[in-house]
Amino acid sequence: MTPVMPSPHPDAKTVRQAIQWMLKLRHSGEDPALNERLAQWRSEAATHELAWQRVLHLEQDLDLRHVPAAGVALQTLEASHRRLERRQALKLLGTVAVFGSAAWLSKDLSVVQAWSSDYATATGERRDVTLPDGSRLQLNTRSAVDVAFNRQQLSIDLKRGEVMLDCRQAAPGQPPVTLRTNTAALQTVGGRFVGRIEDDCLRVVVSEGRVFTRSQSTGLIQWLEPGGEWRVTASGAEQVTPSGMDAMAWTEGLIVGKNMLLRDFLTQISRYRRGYLTCSDDIAELRLSGVFRLQNPEHLLQLLPTTLPVQVRHLTRWWVRVEALGRA
Amino acid sequence: MPSNDLVQNLYSAHHGWLHTWLRHRLGNAADAADVAQDTFMRLLQRREHLQIQQPRAFLRTVARGLIIDHWRREELHKAYLEALALVPEANTPDVETRELLLELLERIAKMLDGLKPKVRTAFLLAQCEGLRHQEIAQQMGVSVRTVERYIADALYHCYLLRYEA
Repeated sequence: MTPVMPSPHPDAKTVRQAIQWMLKLRHSGEDPALNERLAQWRSEAATHELAWQRVLHLEQDLDLRHVPAAGVALQTLEASHRRLERRQALKLLGTVAVFGSAAWLSKDLSVVQAWSSDYATATGERRDVTLPDGSRLQLNTRSAVDVAFNRQQLSIDLKRGEVMLDCRQAAPGQPPVTLRTNTAALQTVGGRFVGRIEDDCLRVVVSEGRVFTRSQSTGLIQWLEPGGEWRVTASGAEQVTPSGMDAMAWTEGLIVGKNMLLRDFLTQISRYRRGYLTCSDDIAELRLSGVFRLQNPEHLLQLLPTTLPVQVRHLTRWWVRVEALGRA
Repeated sequence: MPSNDLVQNLYSAHHGWLHTWLRHRLGNAADAADVAQDTFMRLLQRREHLQIQQPRAFLRTVARGLIIDHWRREELHKAYLEALALVPEANTPDVETRELLLELLERIAKMLDGLKPKVRTAFLLAQCEGLRHQEIAQQMGVSVRTVERYIADALYHCYLLRYEA
């Protein structure tokens, strides 16, 4: 009588080994010696062979390179994942955020007497800073700030570029945090917003919380409602037409936009790369939508002709001009 | 297998409450009705014996998982259309291919849930773009060894879900 063999069940180590084999094979090209060693390993035990077969199937199932249209699978998965997380955090886990901020109640802030520091970023760099009161400051590309914390008052001088200030974790009962530029000043209590220096104003998008500015001439306080885009100057804030871009997207290394003008899109990209980037007038009003990774701006430029009737001309290595297709 | 009676009792005692709870979260009565129905279906399909001390907490847990599935599908759909908007029309897949593709993406998105962001990114760059480990390492600013570890971890995570869950 043949004994009934227990069905083989690969243990964790065997599965890990099978995965290592698969990764080796994937990048080896033709390598008879490697195939032979793999064959040897597979024949050593029934569990080896089973683990190998499973890993192979799994890898084929998860292979998205055959998906039609380049980049679609990646963009879809990344963008939807990001939004799903946001949604879950907002709707289902709301209570967690409340506990999180309550933890700051016990934090003794008096240990931090006075403190000041300067931060700056290079082109394409982003930087995350946690401030003494628990607020978070994120610097976008080519930005610079001076931060001062004095008698529990936090004030940030934005010298150049763009920042995201998130005071939701700041200890309760703190005085408002100030963000100042040459032309404008904003204050917030527990809010979260993005501020960017433009020629004559501070461009602001509030995502949540209370943010306000005080007009220098009238002394009146003006609230900046969450969701809107604002131009803030010394005389006050005015709401502007949204550009179609997600103002917070850069904090996650992305440009996200719906129906953006090509001109606006290129202006954004030029902030993350060195050199000149221009486009001809006849295509400046073309529109595009999508989620774009900022990690490699050159790559984004190279991809443009696959989605729009344009060509990208390198006049020099750093001087790039986007033109209508077919121009000599 | 939970007895049908048990599910029946749960249904008559708590269906109305669950529907209200769901409508609150989903903001729409039709979706709430669907998810409530799915929640009880899910219970009927469970193989293990159920002993339920706190029926509402239990129903909420099951329903919450289903809401996330529902949202995932919605977000995937939206993100997919946005990504397609960037593709020249000649290259866009036909309707049937799109449906198949969305199903595939949903299965994968579900599998990748719970991976650390860097592990997930490295894995997707390899699987979607076919980038080599060296290229991924450069893009992410980490070492090649780290990329290899990320990708192996992701595959192991998927293996456990598929074969041992």
